[in-house]
Amino acid sequence: MSDPSILIATTDLIKRYGENIAVNHVSFEVHAGEVFGFLGPNGAGKTTTIKILVGLLQPSSGKVMVAGYDVQTQPLQAKAASGYVPDTPNLYAKLTGRELLRFVGDLYDLKRDQLEHRLDELLRTFDLTVAANDTIDSYSHGMQQKISLAAALVHDPKVLVLDEPTVGLDPKSARLIKDILRQMADRGAAVFLSTHILEIAERMCDRIGIINKGELIAVGTMDELRSLGKTGGASLEDIFLSLTGGAEVAEIAEILK
Amino acid sequence: MNSTTLPASRFLPSVWKLLRLRMRISLNSFRHARIRAKIGILILAIAVLVFAAVCFYLSWLLLSFLRSPQLVRFTGVDPAPFLTVVPVLIFTGLFLGILLSSFGVLLQALYLSGDMDFLLTSPVPIRAVFVMKLMQAVLPNFGLFALFGLPVLYGLGISGGYNFLYYPLVILTMILLALTAAGVSALIVMLVARLFPPRRVAELLGFVGATLSILCSQFGSLTRLYQPGRDIAGNQVDALFNGLTKLNTPWLPLNWAGRGLVELGQGHWLSGILLVGLTLGLCGTIFWFTLITAERWYYTGWASMQVVARRSKPRSQARSSPAHRSDLATPFKLILPTPVRGILSKDFLVLRRDLRNLSQLVTPLIFGIIYSLVYLQAVGRSSPDSTDMPAWLISSFRSLLVYGNVGLALLVGWTLLNRLAGMSFSAEGRSYWILKASPVHTSHLLIAKFLVAYLPAFGLGGFFLVGLSILQHVSVVSFVYSLLVVLMCLAGLNGIMLAFGVAGANLSWEDPRRMNAGIKGCMGSIVAVAALPITFGLFVGPLWIAAALNLPAIYGYLAGGVLGGAVSAFCTLFPPWVVRGKVARLGEA
Repeated sequence: MSDPSILIATTDLIKRYGENIAVNHVSFEVHAGEVFGFLGPNGAGKTTTIKILVGLLQPSSGKVMVAGYDVQTQPLQAKAASGYVPDTPNLYAKLTGRELLRFVGDLYDLKRDQLEHRLDELLRTFDLTVAANDTIDSYSHGMQQKISLAAALVHDPKVLVLDEPTVGLDPKSARLIKDILRQMADRGAAVFLSTHILEIAERMCDRIGIINKGELIAVGTMDELRSLGKTGGASLEDIFLSLTGGAEVAEIAEILK
Repeated sequence: MNSTTLPASRFLPSVWKLLRLRMRISLNSFRHARIRAKIGILILAIAVLVFAAVCFYLSWLLLSFLRSPQLVRFTGVDPAPFLTVVPVLIFTGLFLGILLSSFGVLLQALYLSGDMDFLLTSPVPIRAVFVMKLMQAVLPNFGLFALFGLPVLYGLGISGGYNFLYYPLVILTMILLALTAAGVSALIVMLVARLFPPRRVAELLGFVGATLSILCSQFGSLTRLYQPGRDIAGNQVDALFNGLTKLNTPWLPLNWAGRGLVELGQGHWLSGILLVGLTLGLCGTIFWFTLITAERWYYTGWASMQVVARRSKPRSQARSSPAHRSDLATPFKLILPTPVRGILSKDFLVLRRDLRNLSQLVTPLIFGIIYSLVYLQAVGRSSPDSTDMPAWLISSFRSLLVYGNVGLALLVGWTLLNRLAGMSFSAEGRSYWILKASPVHTSHLLIAKFLVAYLPAFGLGGFFLVGLSILQHVSVVSFVYSLLVVLMCLAGLNGIMLAFGVAGANLSWEDPRRMNAGIKGCMGSIVAVAALPITFGLFVGPLWIAAALNLPAIYGYLAGGVLGGAVSAFCTLFPPWVVRGKVARLGEA
């Protein structure tokens, strides 16, 4: 990867589970300052791709570069540059929110005085200051989602990967997250997020990739996708359904109305 | 959901529907299990049947023997009154056993299981959900009691020539008593859940239960220690028989079932029907009462739990704030990298806060105290100063006693390592992604996990070693060498168990007590136990050889230190090195 503005790049990514191919020859790039939306039906391979990007899964073949580092051969450098928010926030239930953030800061080898300052800032941003000293098992799903995002931001990553970040969040928190992601992109980070909420993808993402049955079937801006789907002026929902074969379902739903 | 608006006729079909769902889940689990697991389950089922048949046969033989007139003539003691107490004892044991053992299971099934949201939002009467949960919780314990109790009761019936009514009524009474006990237990659970957070109660229960069971299991050692040489005398057996016979009073409702069944079996129809009828009626009434109360309490208790779980506790954990924070890994600030210190702090905090973990950590402490007392008592009684023994043998015996301290310290350390090293990676559970997605080098992760297990194990082992050495006035040289042996041997054990812990890591547990799901974790303990005598022997053997050859002790210490140290260092480093690749792939099932 020669272009320094490319912060995520996958080349011919394949992940097999026995006979099943979860991710099949997936190649894309995400640039600095870009919010990239990753869409696809259930079981299309979104989470598998994301887990490969952040080093939680080894690909069967192919290459993943994050912030200029190969995730397989330079995993520590790649991980140091990225932050990850999973779809289900499985966190240490017996740590307090503050302790979790401090622990994550230690894992990223942050200096203690800087870290404490950063923790206060993040806790304030996510409206978690009051609950900061409660153990996470007393947090609601939304609070766990927020502390999980705060943990991903502790080290101010260049690349942020989020799997369904707005699930279970109230409108205020969802808006806050959208604003934070936009700000990060504006500061030069690459934000890669998967979502089922097409409205979020349409409004937030600079470019969108659509994956279906493990294959990346479309990548581009909204305008490029419209031209690809030959659905001029259509919404992302129409494009998504026409590309993933769900258009007939929409037609049936229309008849049922 | 309001079950009172639903017709009563929907109750039984709903229970049946829910039970069918359970059976379907069990059947599917069996169907989709590996062949090895299926064969294992079948073998287990056959073994249980064989065990029940053997129990029945032995009970029949024994009870027939106890009823034989020859035995009465020969011993002069008639055990017949005691035999009529057997059903009373079994039914009382069944009732109390299920009452006590169901509490934890019901707490889990009624309030902490994952399917509650689904069940309570379905159009199923809450009473049916309650009954299904009750049956689900009580079935394993009931099966266990039936496995031991039923063969004895049937053996008693056949040996006593009881009539046919006895046999089906035994099963019916057992089922009703078990359900009643579980119902009462469920009422207590619901009452407790209204007062305290169920999750915290479950943790506390796990801690108290585990500590009590360890204490009870070790009670025999302590009893033997303070009452040495006391055997059970014939008159004690008599007293026991008499005491148990006196318990069979008709005034205790718990005795009615057993007494009634014996009366029925012997053909005393009136008293038999009265007692059994009273038992069944009482059981039915209590069970009905629990059903009605459950309907009122269960949903409100469960719903309030949802609120309690999310209630904020701003002041309760105030000491975790930065100003009051005590970093548990601070002593290692200069020698350990920040990520390693972070993992150490995190693991020690989690271990300390989860009572269910704490119960496993208390076990070595109890072991240590009890076996120290046993050991000190044994050492106090033995005298190696016999003039008939050669000097080297006396010296060896003394060093054996000195290194008995080491053995005890190693036992305590090994017990602690079983939990801390063997399950060090499993303990991460579903949160392992945090470590895996962060830039932590595998070697740092292994070092952190090694220290998380090693520091407490060496601390506790060392504590017992120091205490015992002071009490036995061990020389400074012997003590320093003993400390080295404990230090090195525990490091070796830790390396082995840590490696097996990685190989058999289970990251999908819900209950910390079920972390060690695989056979590889157990293998770690077994291999470590097999390696321990070798390293220990290499440390201590040269000392005895030096004493036997009249060589200066320093040669023994040097040879032992080099040999034992080398093998311990190998065990410390090699197994973790072998599994380092596996660490990087953990959680990629």
